Amino acid sequence: MATRRALKAVLVDLSGTLHVEDSAVPGAREALKRLRSTPVAIRFVTNTTKECKRDLLDRLKRLDFDIQEDEIFTSLTAARNLLEQKRVRPLLLVEESALRDFRGLDTNEPNAVVIGLAPDHFNYQMMNKAFQLILNGAPLIAVHKARYYKRKDGLALGPGPFVAGLEYATDTQATVVGKPERTFFLEALRGTNCAPEEAIMIGDDCRDDVGGAQNAGMLGILVKTGKYREADEGKINPPPYLICESFPHAVDHILQHLL
Amino acid sequence: MAGWAKHLAGIKGVVLDISGVLYDSGGEGGGVPIPGSIEAVKKIKTSGLKLRFCTNETQATREKFVEKLQRLGFDIAVNEVTAPAPAACLILKERNLRPHLLVHDDVIPEFADVDKANPNCVVVGDAADNFSYKNLNETFRVLIGLENPVLISLGKGRYYKETDGLKLDVGVYMKALEYACDIQAEVVGKPAKMFFQSALREMGVEPHQAIMIGDDIVNDVGGAQQCGMKALQVRTGKYSWSFLYKGTERKTLVRPCDEQHPKVKADGYVDNLAEAVDVILKQLCE
Repeated sequence: MATRRALKAVLVDLSGTLHVEDSAVPGAREALKRLRSTPVAIRFVTNTTKECKRDLLDRLKRLDFDIQEDEIFTSLTAARNLLEQKRVRPLLLVEESALRDFRGLDTNEPNAVVIGLAPDHFNYQMMNKAFQLILNGAPLIAVHKARYYKRKDGLALGPGPFVAGLEYATDTQATVVGKPERTFFLEALRGTNCAPEEAIMIGDDCRDDVGGAQNAGMLGILVKTGKYREADEGKINPPPYLICESFPHAVDHILQHLL
Repeated sequence: MAGWAKHLAGIKGVVLDISGVLYDSGGEGGGVPIPGSIEAVKKIKTSGLKLRFCTNETQATREKFVEKLQRLGFDIAVNEVTAPAPAACLILKERNLRPHLLVHDDVIPEFADVDKANPNCVVVGDAADNFSYKNLNETFRVLIGLENPVLISLGKGRYYKETDGLKLDVGVYMKALEYACDIQAEVVGKPAKMFFQSALREMGVEPHQAIMIGDDIVNDVGGAQQCGMKALQVRTGKYSWSFLYKGTERKTLVRPCDEQHPKVKADGYVDNLAEAVDVILKQLCE
């Protein structure tokens, strides 16, 4: 890594990395404090379709993490930024709880379609409405493209299948804004004034966190907490820059070797 | 005379798509005949050409569907129609498959004689309002829970035209389930070769002796050509919509016009069924 520039920014995944459900990862709070005592910029990045930033922040505060709202960058934020950049009025197929992150956007006479995860909205009429808008030239924006997720009562369809269906219907490609998309990581760095080569990502998802970040030119550290399963590190090529037991170990590595 | 007419020598049978060729579906009365189509069907029948209707319609049983077309004024009988649901029932029985159905309520009677207990496959049709998240999720759970997931799709159309606009077709939900479970569906209906072949068998006509007339460049025209038939595209039904979106402002997506489709080229393009039939019959007389 001799050619790399000094580290200026650290991106940290939330669920599975800082906390697992409603418990903080042991030592994570203190590790975050150690990281804050250095000059690096910190951003918390996560794929979410349901929880707005405020919900995420509330949970982190309950767990006693020292985090500001404007340090959080989610797939919903990425979708919002893209909408603002394109100056379009979205049809938002997202759940009530996610709508807060889109407040203030003009949604009259929509000319863009955002697919989050919205079981209540994924009915035939609404899908037809989305379809007709896309045929008329509205961009199709996917918060992410997960196939399914685990619910208490079993597996449930994620946004991916509905995005794939609309792509097929309109013979077009959705713009996916969440991890592991390259643009997600680049957007997350906005305002930090640093290049991907000056950033590192810490996360528990080998493909979405580490693979995505490394693809964007960053370093990636895989932590063995959260959803990590034995041999996950073999899922990407090139392999993770580093594999650590947990977030505190990753922070220690950064403090000792990368600053 | 249209340039394509000279390729008509030896034509003995005509295969007609229904929705978008004979009539436009939707609205009160279930649809509106496309001008000239009622007469065109009569003309084919009196010409001595063999005639077969080949539809991907799965919003009704074949019987109810034919009744509706008769009410609209068409000379058509149940045994002249090749449709996906009856074809799927044969396959299910042959392979001992017990389906979980995600279909329109009105087509369920077609599956009355099929064992549906303890399903080991999924059949998806044009379920329209039944395509709710809940229903799709239930279907997904059946499919992902199978050791060997079999997904049978009754057609794979992207959309069709109703009197009040374009509507999503079964193909969209087939793709959604394929993506969710990382599998490939088996298509029963157009453009599957077997489906056209069974229509030809019913007519007693060889592929090169038959011509397909449809409004769907991929499923009607492409499918028939794959099978060795000639195929014409009409500029009615879903076709006409290609033009509506051409040249509109603020467009990031331009739907390719059907006549410039990257993969499929029809043997000929006609304004409607009436024109197609007139040219075909005139050629036969020469």
